[in-house]
Amino acid sequence: MSGWDTVNLPLKSQPGSSRLKTVSRTVTLGRVQPQMPTFRTIFCNDRDANFAHRYKGNSISTTKYNIFTFLPKGLYEQFRRVANLYFLMVSILSATPYSPVHPVTNMVPLSLVLLFSLIKEAFEDWQRFQNDNAINSTLVDVLQAQGWETLQWKKLQVGDIIRVKQDGFFPADILLLASTNADGVCYIETANLDGETNLKIRKGLEKTWDYSSPEKACEFKGEVQCEQPNNSLYTFSGNLVIDNQTLPLSPNQILLRGCSLKNTCFIVGAVIFTGHETKVMMNSMNVPSKRSTLERRLDKLILALFCTLFSMCLLGAMGSGMFIDRKYFYLGLRENVEDQFNPSRRFLVIILTMLTLLTLYSTIIPISLYVSIETIKFIQSSQFINKDLNMYHAETNTPASARTSNLNEELGQVEYIFSDKTGTLTRNLMEFFKCSIGGEIYGTGMTEIESGIAERIGINVQELQTSTDSVQEKGFNFYDERLLRGAWRNEPNHDACKEFFRCLAICHTVLPEGDESPQKIKYQAASPDEAALVLAAKNFGFFFYRRTPTMIYVRESHVERMGKTQDVSYEILNVLEFNSTRKRQSVVCRYPDGRLVLYCKGADTVIYERLGSGNDYLNKVTRDHLEKFGSAGLRTLCLAYRDLAPDLYESWNEKFIKAKSSLRDREKKLDEVAELIEKELILIGATAIEDKLQEGVPSCIQTLSRAGIKIWVLTGDKMETAINVAYACNLLNNEMKQFIISSETDAIREVEERGDQAEIAHFIKEDVKKQLKKCLDEASQYFCSPSGPKLGLVIDGKCLMHALDPSLRIMLLTLSLNCASVVCCRVSPLQKAQVTSLVKKGARKITLSIGDGANDVSMIQAAHIGIGISGLEGMQAVMASDFAIAQFRFLEDLLLVHGRWAYIRLCKVVMYFFYKNLAFTLTQFWFTFSTGFSGQRFYDDWFQSLYNVIFTALPVVMVGLFDKDISPSLSKKYPELYKEGVKNMFFKWRVVVLWAFFAVYQSLVFFYFISASTSTSGGRPGKMFGLWDVSTMAFTCVVVTVNLRLLMMCNSITRWHCISVGGSILVWFVFIFLYCGVMTPLDRNDNMYWVIYILMGTPYFYVTLLLVPVAALLVDFLFLGVQRWFFPYDYQIVQEMHKDEIHGTGLSGLLESKHEHTAEVARSSEISRLPREVSKHSGFAFDSPGYESFFASQFGKYVPPKAWDVARRASMKSKAKPK
Amino acid sequence: MSSNTPSSSAGGVGSADSSAPRRNSKRPKYSKFTQQELPACKPILTPRWVISAFILVSIVFIPIGVVSLFASQDVVEIIDRYETECVPQDFRNNKVSFIQSDANKTCTRRLTVTKRMKQPIYVYYQLDNFYQNHRRYVKSRSDSQLKDNSSWNDVSSCKPEDDSNGQPIVPCGLIAWSLFNDTYNFSLNNQQLAVNKTEISWKSDRDSKFGNDVFPRNFQNGTLIGGKSLDPTVPLSEQEDLIVWMRTAALPTFRKLYGKIERDLQPNEVIHVTLENNYNTYSFNGKKKLVLSTTSWLGGKNDFLGIAYLTVGGLCFFLALSFTVVYLVKPRRLGDPSYLSWNRNPGGQ
Repeated sequence: MSGWDTVNLPLKSQPGSSRLKTVSRTVTLGRVQPQMPTFRTIFCNDRDANFAHRYKGNSISTTKYNIFTFLPKGLYEQFRRVANLYFLMVSILSATPYSPVHPVTNMVPLSLVLLFSLIKEAFEDWQRFQNDNAINSTLVDVLQAQGWETLQWKKLQVGDIIRVKQDGFFPADILLLASTNADGVCYIETANLDGETNLKIRKGLEKTWDYSSPEKACEFKGEVQCEQPNNSLYTFSGNLVIDNQTLPLSPNQILLRGCSLKNTCFIVGAVIFTGHETKVMMNSMNVPSKRSTLERRLDKLILALFCTLFSMCLLGAMGSGMFIDRKYFYLGLRENVEDQFNPSRRFLVIILTMLTLLTLYSTIIPISLYVSIETIKFIQSSQFINKDLNMYHAETNTPASARTSNLNEELGQVEYIFSDKTGTLTRNLMEFFKCSIGGEIYGTGMTEIESGIAERIGINVQELQTSTDSVQEKGFNFYDERLLRGAWRNEPNHDACKEFFRCLAICHTVLPEGDESPQKIKYQAASPDEAALVLAAKNFGFFFYRRTPTMIYVRESHVERMGKTQDVSYEILNVLEFNSTRKRQSVVCRYPDGRLVLYCKGADTVIYERLGSGNDYLNKVTRDHLEKFGSAGLRTLCLAYRDLAPDLYESWNEKFIKAKSSLRDREKKLDEVAELIEKELILIGATAIEDKLQEGVPSCIQTLSRAGIKIWVLTGDKMETAINVAYACNLLNNEMKQFIISSETDAIREVEERGDQAEIAHFIKEDVKKQLKKCLDEASQYFCSPSGPKLGLVIDGKCLMHALDPSLRIMLLTLSLNCASVVCCRVSPLQKAQVTSLVKKGARKITLSIGDGANDVSMIQAAHIGIGISGLEGMQAVMASDFAIAQFRFLEDLLLVHGRWAYIRLCKVVMYFFYKNLAFTLTQFWFTFSTGFSGQRFYDDWFQSLYNVIFTALPVVMVGLFDKDISPSLSKKYPELYKEGVKNMFFKWRVVVLWAFFAVYQSLVFFYFISASTSTSGGRPGKMFGLWDVSTMAFTCVVVTVNLRLLMMCNSITRWHCISVGGSILVWFVFIFLYCGVMTPLDRNDNMYWVIYILMGTPYFYVTLLLVPVAALLVDFLFLGVQRWFFPYDYQIVQEMHKDEIHGTGLSGLLESKHEHTAEVARSSEISRLPREVSKHSGFAFDSPGYESFFASQFGKYVPPKAWDVARRASMKSKAKPK
Repeated sequence: MSSNTPSSSAGGVGSADSSAPRRNSKRPKYSKFTQQELPACKPILTPRWVISAFILVSIVFIPIGVVSLFASQDVVEIIDRYETECVPQDFRNNKVSFIQSDANKTCTRRLTVTKRMKQPIYVYYQLDNFYQNHRRYVKSRSDSQLKDNSSWNDVSSCKPEDDSNGQPIVPCGLIAWSLFNDTYNFSLNNQQLAVNKTEISWKSDRDSKFGNDVFPRNFQNGTLIGGKSLDPTVPLSEQEDLIVWMRTAALPTFRKLYGKIERDLQPNEVIHVTLENNYNTYSFNGKKKLVLSTTSWLGGKNDFLGIAYLTVGGLCFFLALSFTVVYLVKPRRLGDPSYLSWNRNPGGQ
């Protein structure tokens, strides 16, 4: 996201209690919603007329480059790296006469680096291109010349009439014209947009219902006037002009790209937005090329090296300016001296010597660093992450996949995780789990939270759970001997049971589908909760099998006596719908025997308000149960009923009919009428539905939070649902101080009803500001006390929209950063991205987003690391992500094992590179002092250019791949170790300075030990060494020392370490033997001939070779010993604690230990928690039945079709089908 | 998967996928490499290890140090600095003009042998503040010219001493031009001491870098004479002074071998040196020394290696000792969980 101003965010940590984080100055979020004042006009079915407007085609491209831009753009990307740019400069410089080194010395490594990187980029872009191609070549039916013709998606144009078949994806944003369903209705799944899998309904304008056949469709000549393309998924405004009539269009007629058609044979529609102008594409931001934070810090290090280099050069150049003098007659400085040595032009000498020294000291910038890092990262991601068996999900046959290799080490430093809910934390599977009937709890299952508690108090969960695995159906995970198979008849409260089951079977808006047998029937419900409840009724023996507009048919078993079934039909008189204000739903039905009953189900708060007097004991017990369910993370509903007297009902029904037919404020009036009858209810019981979490989610969250990672849930779901899942995941609990900022307050609702948009916006903003301020005041008293409760924040999308306003943003950030967990509900995809950016840019923390749907794409792209859940149908999130894993719980492996290792390894690699180049270059630097600052090189050209590429290249790669401080199971057992990465312990300036110190010390040893020891001859013959003998001696010592230093920093030494270190030293000797052994025809200007043989012919060589490396490494060794002894890192302690354990356990052992391990984690995490109080949280959460879509609640404009209408229409449809 | 975006992966394909038997499992193959389970030794730097490493180093280093020091002590070295004394008193204020004049530059020195010196005794000259490693100097030579007669006019790299009156100089360049030209004659008890001036350069230089068919041409016949002249009838491969000189030194203070005296010298013998003080080190205040030295197995008299060995060895011994003391006084139990940072400050920052 662009548009961030300078963000100044000193997160002051107060001494003693560093919990208070304050945020100052402004943070600006970019990307204002595009305001398009103009309209576009589309002529349907008329390509020529549209041609004039030059609308974009429907082909999409997500590639970074094309053939022409590849080279310039790719090179630009490469030269964004300072080191590459620098080397380009040095290469040019070394082609000048001022260079003491040959130009090839610098050019060869640079071109190798560039070539390697460009090939990698090209390969990655090629894959993207092929993906785009696959999408663009998908086929769709387009109306052309009286018939459907199959065309590729990319050939679609605005205005085309197309046909999409069942289960097909919409290729563009389409205006729905006609559908095979009656009333021009079609059902769509929007899982890719908002992650919701329940079906949404879309309805064409009545005027266009008939255009479903090609012949008819050809005649369709409409003109659509609509807004310009924008990224708002939930709004659309426009008009359809047909036959000189102007019909208003709403989002209800728009089918968005990315959605798929369900339960409808086919639809016919007109294309209005194509390709990159579709709303889903407008919502996905430009793919940012992500660079890891470590790499950006590396740039800083390189910058520091530049400064060092510059000062070294400056010092040397000044020296040369002072040194140069005619008195050194042997330098031949008499007349006609070139500028770089001319004593009469000292200033020029300084400048030119600067250039000379720049090329000479160029080795201080490690050019092969980037190649090595890229190689390491590539192998890490392609071999280790992609092939980790611990992250392979057998059920979906999905291994983890790293889609970029840039961000491995970023995984080791994540501090904030933004998670989508549906599909990521939960499976979007509702299961009837428990119930409370007449003051008795039924259902023996345990949620993950409960089993955690049970573990803590020492009950063997395994034992308890084996008994529960019996009657299992998707959506019904309930077992209790006392209720199933008619056993409820023997219960003392069997009457209550009967009412309970009937209520479940009658009070709903579910449609049965398919064969009317218990095994084969399918329930179509607006929300999975409802389906789960009806399914539960079926399993209890109250099988709802048919619905007509006025009747519900239920096959009841065991009612009169055991084993007897009878079909009972209930007449449905009224349905009082669910909506988010009422939070309840009622059905008035007449029994066959004439009994009039109102069944009601809803949130505990609303039901309890409407209970009749008496039965206080039952009410109290049930409330206890509700709280128990709620704290176990279950979604609860209360069931109640009321017997109605016929005359009472009749008089009420009149009012109801009146209200229903009223034209103004119908909603409100209906609600008022409903109030009249929904009172004096008798409580039957409560249901508890488990919003099935993905496997291992709570324990994973627990582990991650022990690792110091904060997890935010960003979901499009309703607040209750979101809170409930947060409870289930243990993100919220009752010990926490919770702040809830909601737009669902009466005051706001009141203003909204008045309908003035500007006023609403202003009011909400003020309200949000007030709430934020209040929360912040309250929270700040906890900031200072370390023992205070953890804080949690819940905020909904509408409030968030205003809270993200620049004036309130800082407050929001301050509050949310101090919260242990944050839940944002009802947020749009863009808001998800904005929240992510808020933390990323505003707090400068490393963020990770994880999600599974297209609605998560922008969030995934906005975060430092985006993770997609793979293995599901929708792949949009995966395509946008940096890593794809099959399950949320794999984050544990990805972050704690791979991320942590990658971070530690990369830090080591970088530090080692820094050290070895510094030590090497400084030797050269010290030599400069003894050469009259002339810029004479100490080492041979080839030594210098091969030092990085050959003699010290491979061992460090081994460290980058194989270094392993502790085993994976230990890093998961001690997640706190992860904090070392979050705090960036291994890449601080302190560490850099330390390494620099070692480098300086070692270079001094190299240079002065060797120069001091060569002042006399090195052996019996008394012949003296020359410059190249000395430098070869020094270089040998450097290569040996630097390679041995590598072994000292390894936590584990595999055979590859030994081979590569030994190999590197050996390669040096082989090289020097050959290099010195042959006399090349080329003038090397070096006199390197026979040098090594002369050296090795003297005892001096061996004595020095033993002395110098040991003396150089002595200080390092001393430091390592002292550091480990007195200031051990956490990982070192853990190493010591487990040093006797056998590490290389085989795979089987590893997989086995994983299970007991997670249990262990769960238990230890439980211990850390305080005993659970009785919850204040009762767990009400219920997806609104009816097709009250996201649209309505977000914008309050569009009135959804009534649930009852939908139900009736659907049932007529099913009846119409031949049986 | 050919189609892997939501827009293209049709539901039909997805369901077909899941219903089909899993023929092609994507389960990664197990290998020790990919699962990062390569067998490795995991050295932990425990105090015991630290102490034993230090002790080991000191055990190895101290004897080597002692041996090296003894070797260095065995070497007998006579150093005579003569650049001032060999200038007549009246020229002392203006040494440069003396050295550039045509005056007689002969000078005699007396050297007293302190200890018995076994032959061969190496005669060195040692210059100071002479930057043979200056970039302009180092590159001012033509290796191809030195090696091969056919490229005698390859003098491109020799500036500014590349040609004399348009004729290429052999050997060209500043290095050759500034060849050291002091000469030493030794006599003992009025008897000439022979100085063997062969085999004073490295054999590889003689054989491969300086051609036996390359003869000096136009050498030192310019306006300014830099140093010694060469006999144009002797091939370069036999001009050993030149060969030694042209193996440029690494540091501004350097010794170069002048010759060998192949007889033993007894203590208190006095050697008379008659030297020609020709070479100009006065313009840059360079020192000149004459060195007579025997060698040990480790070369000339240089205590540095021995002392360095002893220092490192001694330091290691000292460190081993102090680590042991600390280990005994204030041990840290290995793997004590209470040292873990999150256990040290509960509540966690």
